[in-house]
Amino acid sequence: MRKAIAIIISVAVFVILAYFFVTSSAPINYTTGGDYVNPINDHQANQSVPQQYLNDSRKDTGSQNVVTAIVVEYRGFDTLGEVTVLFTAATGLAILLGEYKRRIEKAVEPNFVTQVATVIILPFIVIVGAYIFIHGHLTPGGGFPGGAIIASGFLLLLLVETNRGLPEKKLSITESLAGMSYALIGLLGLVLANEFLENYLPTGIFGTVFSAGIIPLIYIAIGFKVGSELGGILHNIKGVHEE
Amino acid sequence: MTYELLVPIFIMSSALIAIGLYAVMSKKNILKIILAADIVETGVNILIVAMGYLPGGTAPIENGNYPLYVDPVPQALVLTAIVIGVSVTALALAVAMGYYRKTGTIELDKEGVMKW
Amino acid sequence: MVSLPPVLLIAFPLFFAFLAPLINMVSKKAVKYYTMAVLLLNTAISLIIFLNVLEHGVIYEELSGFYPPVGILLSVGYLGAILALLINALAPIVYLSYFGDAENSVKFSMIYMLVTASSTGIVITGDLFNMFVFFEITAVGSYGLVASMRTKKAYEGAFKYIVLGTIGSSFILLGIATIYGYLKTLNFYDIAARINTMPESARLMSFIFLIIGIGVEAELFPLNGWVPDAYEGASNRVAAFFSLGPSKAGIYAIARLLFTLVPLVKGFNLAMLLGLLTLVIGELAALRQKDPKRMLAYSSIGQMGLILVAFSMHSALAFTAAIFLMVSHALAKSLLFLGTRGYKEGVLRNPWVAGPIFIGVLSIIGMPPFPGFWGKWYLLVNMAQRGFWAVILLIIFAAIVEGVYYARFLHRGTEGEESKVLTRSEIAAITILALILVLVGMFPQYLYTPAVKAAAALMGGGP
Repeated sequence: MRKAIAIIISVAVFVILAYFFVTSSAPINYTTGGDYVNPINDHQANQSVPQQYLNDSRKDTGSQNVVTAIVVEYRGFDTLGEVTVLFTAATGLAILLGEYKRRIEKAVEPNFVTQVATVIILPFIVIVGAYIFIHGHLTPGGGFPGGAIIASGFLLLLLVETNRGLPEKKLSITESLAGMSYALIGLLGLVLANEFLENYLPTGIFGTVFSAGIIPLIYIAIGFKVGSELGGILHNIKGVHEE
Repeated sequence: MTYELLVPIFIMSSALIAIGLYAVMSKKNILKIILAADIVETGVNILIVAMGYLPGGTAPIENGNYPLYVDPVPQALVLTAIVIGVSVTALALAVAMGYYRKTGTIELDKEGVMKW
Repeated sequence: MVSLPPVLLIAFPLFFAFLAPLINMVSKKAVKYYTMAVLLLNTAISLIIFLNVLEHGVIYEELSGFYPPVGILLSVGYLGAILALLINALAPIVYLSYFGDAENSVKFSMIYMLVTASSTGIVITGDLFNMFVFFEITAVGSYGLVASMRTKKAYEGAFKYIVLGTIGSSFILLGIATIYGYLKTLNFYDIAARINTMPESARLMSFIFLIIGIGVEAELFPLNGWVPDAYEGASNRVAAFFSLGPSKAGIYAIARLLFTLVPLVKGFNLAMLLGLLTLVIGELAALRQKDPKRMLAYSSIGQMGLILVAFSMHSALAFTAAIFLMVSHALAKSLLFLGTRGYKEGVLRNPWVAGPIFIGVLSIIGMPPFPGFWGKWYLLVNMAQRGFWAVILLIIFAAIVEGVYYARFLHRGTEGEESKVLTRSEIAAITILALILVLVGMFPQYLYTPAVKAAAALMGGGP
């Protein structure tokens, strides 16, 4: 009975969604025509929002990667919220699993190849992660993938060191400091410029590492934060005492 | 009518959403339900990225010699949505671990999540 | 008067929540005072912003220094200011009930601050996707809070909530994507100005997507299967916090969507239908419950349905009623959840517990002179003027059902020997909440004036 209802509902959802999106007349281009007037302050823009991002991001933010410009600068407040979602999840997970920590018996002896290879590639993993979040305004990537790559290094460590966890306290301090610096960079915008998260640094030479104002700074903070948060999540899921 | 190259993508992502919904409603195993919810999310993300596609457009990273870029906004939105999905999945797995420790099973009681 | 940027309501709690683990390393005892100080700071900021809005009208803030729709806009309207003040003023009072406990986890306090900030964010934002992000913070924090009791019930409730919440947020994303696909914008004002260029089918679909998604958080009918389980699994204090923060933010979001985003006649009818179903089913289910917490959870569902009915009447007086009902529900439900921890026979023999609980029950079932009465009165007057007699009968029927099970609930508490369950700080918290209820009920004009302005603004399609 439950299965029958489930099949009926999901088939209905499939038909409705597929029909709606395939026949939708949403414009395939992102122009809105010449009569577009910004409704809020009668600013005569004549450009739709994505057009303005594509045309002005170089002038406004100095970021070569337009998606980064949107994520960190134009819609930076969303990203602060996004970091907070991850932080909230990591905190909730620590509440759920924190007190269940126990010493795991060595169930499986780690593979010799894994042990040796980890020692060799771990520094490179960290370097690649750092490279990705430092160059977030120039290349695809940024703080989130960079942090996730660093956390994959942590995962390797946890696989090799079967009876040990990660330095939980240090991770927690890193996480706090990175999160606070993100919020502080934003709040400084209220003091040094007019608005929260507004850029108050020079945008530099387009296409170089030291450019795009506060974007690299924010991405570095996010990289540290995501790396230490995901590391903490892995540590809590493994559930080992801190030595 | 949308651009015809996108039609199979829209159909596929709608199918992913429907498959995920079916599994969420009919399964009792917690891990399967978590995976199913992830499938729904993936379908939605693919759909959103596809909606930003422009025929002939390229990735929105300025390189000076290519004039046509795809719409960057859906990509930024999906980036946010992916991170949120990861957080929720991690938390759901933690709940699954806790449930297993309390009950010794990862099967929900009779009705699954459909019980009102 | 000083004017403050509304972003501080969100940025400060986030910053201080990030700082909290470091405070915990220095001194474990300081954390609860620290959290209280942060919550009180937020109360002060929201009070200043409320007064500013009353004086000068809507406050706009263009984040990142880009004019909207390019950047994100925060817009604090009358309704947003009332709800921001409500959430931020009640959060420290509910937090007060934790003061008697020996153990107070820093992680819990962090999530408490974050959920307060994000519920506030939902009511003051002017951007669709930003609202989604705040929804997710609220939801993820709530999942953690529900599961934090670590019983089988808590895990089941939290898991159900997580699954429904994930599906819901996927549907919110679909709705956002549909609107963005047609209009290429995410700003509320921009959407409201150009929504008519969208074909009607697309408008209806995006409305359905969004109401499915937000309905999970706002406890609407077919999507609220998680509510009783989650409320039963969560601790009473967490349930109290839910009824003032996340659920209010959810119903605000639906009201905002109804009026500024997708103003369709079909949308209003659909919302009215959903609201009535939620009301009747919630109240009838509450009548069947033995466990007081589960009963209160179902009663909460019914109340949310009534608020949605009031919003979908689409008239200024009904909006005013809805605002009164929201204030009454936030105050009285958090009072009742706090006051019924370990509820058993003889709890109400203690006058310090019985007094506030009586006041809360009277306000919920709509007795004068409490805010719940004013809400139901304005709503029924408006319905009578417009001849919605069938709806009036349904609402009166629901109110009678409500009266029956609350009478049974009170009766049970007054029987037998006196028993003491609540700590002193919990009694302090429910006394303060009851005092606020009495004050709002005695002097409704102080809420009525801003509520009428909020209603007028909503009718005009504003925030």
